[in-house]
Amino acid sequence: MECRDFTTQLDDLLDGQLDALRQKSVQEHLGRCPDCRRRHEHAVAVREAVCKLSPPALHPGFMDQALSRATRGTHPRWHPVLGMALAATLVLGVAVGAFLTTRPESVQTVALTIDRPETVRLMFNSAKPLKAATLSLALPENVEFVGYGDRRELSWQTDLREGGNLMQLPLIVRGATKDELVASLSHDGSSKTFRLRIEVDDAGKRGM
Amino acid sequence: MPPVSPFRRTRAATSQYRRARPAALNFEDLLRPQVEYLYRLAWRFTGSVADAEDLVQDVLIKLYPRTRELLEIERLRPWLARVLYHQYVDSVRQRARSPIVELVADAEGEDNPLDALPAMKDGPEERAERSGQRERILAALRRLNPEQRAVVAMHDVEGYSLEELATMLETPLGTLKSRLHRARERLRALLPMEPFSAGERVKQ
Repeated sequence: MECRDFTTQLDDLLDGQLDALRQKSVQEHLGRCPDCRRRHEHAVAVREAVCKLSPPALHPGFMDQALSRATRGTHPRWHPVLGMALAATLVLGVAVGAFLTTRPESVQTVALTIDRPETVRLMFNSAKPLKAATLSLALPENVEFVGYGDRRELSWQTDLREGGNLMQLPLIVRGATKDELVASLSHDGSSKTFRLRIEVDDAGKRGM
Repeated sequence: MPPVSPFRRTRAATSQYRRARPAALNFEDLLRPQVEYLYRLAWRFTGSVADAEDLVQDVLIKLYPRTRELLEIERLRPWLARVLYHQYVDSVRQRARSPIVELVADAEGEDNPLDALPAMKDGPEERAERSGQRERILAALRRLNPEQRAVVAMHDVEGYSLEELATMLETPLGTLKSRLHRARERLRALLPMEPFSAGERVKQ
């Protein structure tokens, strides 16, 4: 067996999938080739290292909360920004670029494909934690919240933490729309209104 | 959402009693023992606690209306793993199409706490994860594409055979072999030899 033959057998060796003949041949090669022996040890060690990684413990209360949300329904929820940013740094970078170019209009725009449920990720920035703020969302015509039937408006009390508060809002567009999604955030006598223009992405529809 | 056929038990095997119970009770009975497993697998897919929790939550929300169907599933865990996998791949694709929209207020406000954007701060978990070999391995896994990470998680870690995965994920065996080969090759390239040689392996 040559070293390049060994390389092609490595996955099967790791998985214990070699038949007796190939196993014997591989073992003989490993006995006389220090490079392939190191390669094999490295492959075993990397796989062990990956297997030994364990996730941080489940947050207390997550299980009850998650099951309750599933069975009773819930309002859209905030998502921790750090976790999202770790996984989607490039997306965030693109978003910042888009934000800068559209800033003079003060109304952001997203393009959604007709009849395809899509998640719009909205970021609310707050300079300090806000307890029991009231968040209201009102939809333009031809846009629906996924999972809320015919409801055009949602309003609920929520806490915002300092910094970015990310919300994933599942929406579905049923046809062309002229108005904007309006999000109002009120707290302790002051309020802010945000607007989001929703356009129909014809290219996305054609690509389906 | 995948079809249920490979895992479905016969209807007679589902007791009359269970079918007559409220859906929420059945759902909790079926899913509560699986949430930790789903979270663990989701974390291996995403590499992030927040994203793993989101993924599990989204799967639970999607499955609840299908509680009666879940009662018919003979081998629930691999079926759930498949649902989680599809949700994960869909969410990655959806995220790529859906950049974050940073909302800008209508009116100018003065001293309004909603105006400012403080710098992001590292939490203890993020700091801890950035240190040492654990972070190096996580960073290497993040460099794989979603399908490669999933096959590593489900085959190398969770122990599903490639043949099982081919059925579960309805993906040709050759495709899975190729994904696994590339994933392992990439991990080895990203995690150089020295700290991973025999006798000096990662300790938790």
